[in-house]
Amino acid sequence: MSGKGFKMRAVAYISPQNFPMLVKSFGTKESEELKYHYIAHTSLDVIEERINADPKATECFLGLLYVLEDVCVYGYITPTRVKIVLAMDQVDDFLKDSDVILLFKALHTAYHDTLCNPFLHQPLSQGLRTEDIAQMMGRGDKWKGLRRRLDRIAAAAEKHAIAAQ
Amino acid sequence: MSSTKQYKSIGDDLWKSRTDKINAELFTMAYGSLVVQLIQDYEDYAEVNKQLEKMGYNIGIRLIEDFLARSSLGKCADFREVGEVVAKVGFKSFLNITPIVHHHPAPTPAGGVGPSTTTPRSSLLPSQNAAAQAQTHSMPGASFVLTIDENPLAEFVELPDTALPTTAPEGSTAGAPNQTGLWYSNILCGVLRGALEMVQMQCEVVFLSDTLRGDETTEIRVKLVRYLEEEVPVGDD
Repeated sequence: MSGKGFKMRAVAYISPQNFPMLVKSFGTKESEELKYHYIAHTSLDVIEERINADPKATECFLGLLYVLEDVCVYGYITPTRVKIVLAMDQVDDFLKDSDVILLFKALHTAYHDTLCNPFLHQPLSQGLRTEDIAQMMGRGDKWKGLRRRLDRIAAAAEKHAIAAQ
Repeated sequence: MSSTKQYKSIGDDLWKSRTDKINAELFTMAYGSLVVQLIQDYEDYAEVNKQLEKMGYNIGIRLIEDFLARSSLGKCADFREVGEVVAKVGFKSFLNITPIVHHHPAPTPAGGVGPSTTTPRSSLLPSQNAAAQAQTHSMPGASFVLTIDENPLAEFVELPDTALPTTAPEGSTAGAPNQTGLWYSNILCGVLRGALEMVQMQCEVVFLSDTLRGDETTEIRVKLVRYLEEEVPVGDD
């Protein structure tokens, strides 16, 4: 890993009821995807902690949640209590908070734009059904638009990193 | 081309002077919910297209009054001008978009040598030539194509695969109601048809392509079928 990297590894969107809606990883083999599902689930605990510590906080960005092996995990909660978990490659010099916040704003906007599609069937509010699991894994076409936008964000982030060197 | 600039500035002025504008996202989402609800109710995309067009027609017959009152434009000289006004003043003042217009004069009757725009007829005076061209632009069969590059109705919309047209090579098989697929913004066709009918022009308005379906452009063709004669109400002597 040469120089600064905005190499996004994975993004997870978790519903207000703590059901994972979409876990998207970038450029990883299928066998390694499981790691990011694990990361998404463990992040939930840390997020709960942070939220309960300060219930009055209106800040969306939750900061660096923890570091695991070679990834840094950042958390973000939207006003509708949708949680976004971002796993990024660990770099020598830590990324500035403002840069990560910028990334999260892009991820939030991508989610919001996808929701505007009237043909999107509503995100699950009842339990996690079997058909939703395939969608969450990225196999179905419910989140096709969102996955496309995420790919674009990841590509833009990488290009930005190279330009910044 | 001065009239083109005129229409453009009229359209701009009308848009700016309009005080009751609606939030674009609200508009887009309301229309989206409408289409989704129609699909749930009818479950047949061809029927949904028809219903959207009907709704548009009802809007169009009323919208034209508003338009004529605000713009106070006179009668158009020919169908070509109709196309210009629709694109530059109509669409601009209501949706704040300006589609590009391509005019197609009426096809000439078989056997006749009609004036074509490519072969200049030097024997005619320019004014006569223009009049002849205007005539074919007013004959039934004349049409114009509106190319919309930013459709406010369809922002962030992604059609499900079932709404796309099926490419069945054979004849329609039983249970394949989806030959033409969904035209998401079909309400616009109805609006144009209704509005033009109120100014004595019966037109056929259809979508030719739609970026939502994967086509390159979004195009609507408006073809003049015939002029409607003023009908004297029964009872007059």
